[in-house]
Amino acid sequence: MALVPLSYNLRSLRVRKSSTLLTIISVGATVAIFAGVLSLQQGFETLFSDSGRADVSVFLRPGAVSEGESGIPPEKCEIIKKSLPEVQVVDGMPLASAESFLAVRRRKLDGGETNVPIRGVEQMTFTIREGEVALSEGRAFAPGSDEVIVGEKLVGRIQGCALGETIWLNTVPFKVVGVFSHDGPFASEIWCDIRRMSDALDRPWYSRVVAVLNPDADINALKERMSEHKEIPAKVMDERTYYEDQTQALSGVLRGLGTFLAVIMGMAAAFTATNTMLAALSTRSHEIGILLSVGFRPTAIFLSFLFEAVLLSLAGGLVGVLVAFAINGAETGTTNFRTFTEIAFAFRVTPTVLSQAVFFSLLLGLLGGAWPAWRASRMKPVEALRRT
Amino acid sequence: MVPLKLIWRNLLRHKLRVLLTAGSLTVAFFLLCVLQALVVSLDQGVKNASKKRLVVQSAVSLFVNLPISYQGKIETVEGVDETMKMTWFGGYYREPANMFAQFAIDADRMETIYSNVELIEGSWDEFKNTRMSCLVGKETANKYGWSVGDRVPIVGMIYPRLDGSEWQFDIAGIYDAGAEASIDDLTMYFHWDYLEEAMEAGATTGADGIGVYSVLLSDGYSQAGVGAEIDSLFENGPQRVQSTPEGEFNAQFVSMVGNVPFFVGTIGMGVLIAILLATLNTMLMSGREQTRDVGVLKALGFDGSAAFWLLLSQSLILCGLGAGTGIFLALGIEGPLQAVLGSNFPGLQINREVLTPAIILAICVALFAGLAPALRARRLTVIEALREEV
Repeated sequence: MALVPLSYNLRSLRVRKSSTLLTIISVGATVAIFAGVLSLQQGFETLFSDSGRADVSVFLRPGAVSEGESGIPPEKCEIIKKSLPEVQVVDGMPLASAESFLAVRRRKLDGGETNVPIRGVEQMTFTIREGEVALSEGRAFAPGSDEVIVGEKLVGRIQGCALGETIWLNTVPFKVVGVFSHDGPFASEIWCDIRRMSDALDRPWYSRVVAVLNPDADINALKERMSEHKEIPAKVMDERTYYEDQTQALSGVLRGLGTFLAVIMGMAAAFTATNTMLAALSTRSHEIGILLSVGFRPTAIFLSFLFEAVLLSLAGGLVGVLVAFAINGAETGTTNFRTFTEIAFAFRVTPTVLSQAVFFSLLLGLLGGAWPAWRASRMKPVEALRRT
Repeated sequence: MVPLKLIWRNLLRHKLRVLLTAGSLTVAFFLLCVLQALVVSLDQGVKNASKKRLVVQSAVSLFVNLPISYQGKIETVEGVDETMKMTWFGGYYREPANMFAQFAIDADRMETIYSNVELIEGSWDEFKNTRMSCLVGKETANKYGWSVGDRVPIVGMIYPRLDGSEWQFDIAGIYDAGAEASIDDLTMYFHWDYLEEAMEAGATTGADGIGVYSVLLSDGYSQAGVGAEIDSLFENGPQRVQSTPEGEFNAQFVSMVGNVPFFVGTIGMGVLIAILLATLNTMLMSGREQTRDVGVLKALGFDGSAAFWLLLSQSLILCGLGAGTGIFLALGIEGPLQAVLGSNFPGLQINREVLTPAIILAICVALFAGLAPALRARRLTVIEALREEV
């Protein structure tokens, strides 16, 4: 079967410049919003999931769903760190560390207040996080001193978070001596000595224990044993699972919002595409008559019109993706609803976003083009030629 | 003026096209209404918060409690009429998904602090006099089918009972927040004494102290003045405090979600651009097709303004029908929307603040889309119009 040459469609689109352009932008706006919401979700999710380690396990108070509400007394943290055979030991020291976590109230530089996570850590934390957390400015805090290091995402966003400045925790001043980087959520945190944090905030308990397990350790057995443990009951999970739990809620909301918007706006966009193609049809019935009479099959006409609609919507998709790319990497803040702390993350136009956006615009073209194309293919040559 | 019938006939010349455009307008305005309703609902608790109340919280963190001794000290400050303890309980009913707010409070003071709250069932006296009792917002009561006299089990996440059991509360009243905009109809309030008793008996663990103090001001005192006085009282510890007007206190929870108004605004902008261009496209097509009609109309002696109105009123009718349907759909979905999103967006409704901008936008879209073809119709001479090939 002979297909109608593609150049016919391209020329047709060019002849109806204004209509083509309006449709492209209209579809583009729809795709841009769809891609924007998706890239927000991707940025948030990758921030957490990419930084979670499968070999690191997290110990929380039984029943706690995040470190924000978890609490373990220091002496129990010591027992967890030292008594578990699953924990990897290097140079006679278990690769385990207690951490204290609190969302503290801070002023933003651009006005308003937010909750910034402060994490009290032990020296071992830096060994565990070697290669993940790196100082980009200044030096590490001296153990036992009133010094802090701040995540680089806080610098320029939160008051008092530049090198040399002072952060007040209740009535105790802490000096900022270093800035550190991390590809995950730690970059939005303040880190200090765990004991000094406990003293300054008058919090006699810690939040969680983080430990590197031996490669052959059975985490499921450990999980079960710890949940039943009489002395040191704890909820155990690997860090990746922990982060997944943290992001689930917001990720779900964003994905739901993206789908909701895509369906509703997609309907409107498909209608627009249909309209444009119908208009094209009515002005081109004469041409269709000619095509039919020179021997093109109705199927070829159908495909040709459908192709034109898809071309139109793909061009719109391209515009949408370009708009989405403009916000790629733009930083924004949102709240981790498990701990009520603000986390900075960036929009990420990932291959997933791109393929979904392109697929979405393709779908719009097919939906919008199907009916007009079918109508075109059903025309009788004589009628079509007679109509003006 | 051209007869209405002519306008209508011209509009329906391409029934499918008009239907599709009106359909696009419907979904777009439905979406705009829903989005706007979300923003309005978020602002509500902030904007309508009482000017007579302060919230005293830890200056360090929302998650750090204040000493119990602070209550008496706050009451010595001039301008403080009444204070009330408020501690976030963080519990759920049966399943973690059934999460709603519970506060442990001074039961005998709530009526004074929230003077506009009305009990639609039960009595204040019953609540004040029964230690295990609680008040529940009418929406939560409806959701779980609770009524006065019921005993409800609540699992405490922040204050877990050490024997693994649930907390038990007897419902003494069901409230309607009414004009008290800063509280919603979803919350449970119970005796702080009941919580303290359990802590002292070792039946539960959890942080000591009080989450925040709600402070009612005497007449003639300002939030800023009394707030500064209270803050300075605890400047040297042991726990610094920050007194915030109730509205600002509420605002911090709103801004936590991120910049929702900006986010929603951007989406709304996209929707609007898409629909604007789609409608313009339709109207341009119609305008072109009706060129000859305009010629005939003018040849019959109608003037330019008649031609102008012929086109513009089609745009107005199109947008009125499409957007109107969308707005009505939004009104119709108000109930289900509240059921799904009510716990995150209390007070969600399609009210005047939602409808007014929607109607204004609909008129703007109609004018924008209709003006270009209408102006062209006015300008065209009879000869030009009749000669035009369609």
